[in-house]
Amino acid sequence: MADEKEIIPVKIHQHGDYELAIYWADGHESVYPCDYLRKACRCANCVDEWSGTPRVNPAAIPENIQPVQIESVGRYGIKIDWDDGHNTGIYGFEYLRKICPCQECRDGG
Amino acid sequence: MNVTEELILRTLSTVKDPDLHRDIVSLGFIQNIKIQNSSVSLDLVLTTPACPVRDQMKQECETKLRNLPGVSKVEINMKAEVRGRPGLNQASVLPGVRNTIAVASGKGGVGKSTVAANLALALAKTGAKVGLLDCDVYGPSIPLMFGLTGQKPDVTEDQKILPIPAHGIVVMSIGFLTDDNAPVIWRGPMVHQIIQQFLTRVAWGELDYLILDLPPGTGDTQLTLTQSASLSGAVIVTTPQEVSLIDARKGLQMFQKVNVPVLGIIENMSYFCCPGCGKVAEIFRRGGAKKVSEAFNVPMLGEIPIDPAVVETGDQGVPIVAAKPDSLIARVYQAIAGALAAQVSIANMSGSEKAAAAGPVHIQWQTKKK
Repeated sequence: MADEKEIIPVKIHQHGDYELAIYWADGHESVYPCDYLRKACRCANCVDEWSGTPRVNPAAIPENIQPVQIESVGRYGIKIDWDDGHNTGIYGFEYLRKICPCQECRDGG
Repeated sequence: MNVTEELILRTLSTVKDPDLHRDIVSLGFIQNIKIQNSSVSLDLVLTTPACPVRDQMKQECETKLRNLPGVSKVEINMKAEVRGRPGLNQASVLPGVRNTIAVASGKGGVGKSTVAANLALALAKTGAKVGLLDCDVYGPSIPLMFGLTGQKPDVTEDQKILPIPAHGIVVMSIGFLTDDNAPVIWRGPMVHQIIQQFLTRVAWGELDYLILDLPPGTGDTQLTLTQSASLSGAVIVTTPQEVSLIDARKGLQMFQKVNVPVLGIIENMSYFCCPGCGKVAEIFRRGGAKKVSEAFNVPMLGEIPIDPAVVETGDQGVPIVAAKPDSLIARVYQAIAGALAAQVSIANMSGSEKAAAAGPVHIQWQTKKK
């Protein structure tokens, strides 16, 4: 597993109208566009449980999609209720850190 | 030299809590210092009444204070305030429960419910307020072990279920809500719902520790609990042989995956001590749990011997810690309860230091679409 601090969120908050921001314990900040997060949903409705193939057409997800509310899941992640009615996705902190969209993370892999 | 509060605090700041590795003054353990001429009295407030090193710490404080010039009499009152899991003050689930401890195993039949029941009683005997939740929906055994078969819980005016008191703790089980002999035949979603109800609709009141007796494996119940209740940690019960250890490792990894601290491993049915000749037989080979604890770097909490009295007392509705508190096995349980309580304090301390950070998240998205 990655360094523990990389996957401990210190603060999770709304960032403008269409972004969610997470400050991590190692000092990094991730800012996720909402539609990017919605498309990254790994729940069984969005990704086939057995084959891993996507079951949702990313183009069908509205660009202006927003969360209605966000809640903790145990000690390891968050659950997002989207305004398109989708609410079955759990975003683990380890996964969220892995998909951080900032340039540094995408370059560093 | 005048005895001052500052001098006392400075002296006691050389005493360390051996589990938390910090001095007892900065931990906030020393309270209510009173100085009258040459006699000193104070409260030593530990993080758990089950602290295994409480006498040792008390003694060290007494000795150090007595050696101060100008002090002739020292009175230390031992107290305990169990601290809660990180994020407790914002918790919406089980808000009065300071710590929730899951007792789990990978494999069935390792004596998980027996261990959970006796650990709960052993914690309560130290003065802690303890609850026990039987999460085994398909095979609840807690009602029988506590002599509560056939009992039905009362319901409060605001429609909360009252757990049933027994042997100094409070107990809740699916067995109180269904027919005694009828099997529960449910799919996963029903299990999810009943566990949710246990967490939200049972009037647990104020508890220091809620012990959750889990069914074996890594299924629906485990998932619901790790998602809905912010667990303080989990204890893995195993028997010594490899076929049990394989599954113990899986259980352990499941908790690590969902970020629930593994507080330790308990080896049950570790050995048998012949009551006639005193010879020890290691029936299932002893020491397997220790190897797992070393491989995964989690604490080894103890080895519980096989004793026919455990089955006898359990079947009669009085777990051995309550039935024979002076027996060897009850003392083993008491020691394990102390080690467990210490691990809970350690996990809470490191959890709040790491600032397990954001705590429970509730974000209501604030904007209207343009």
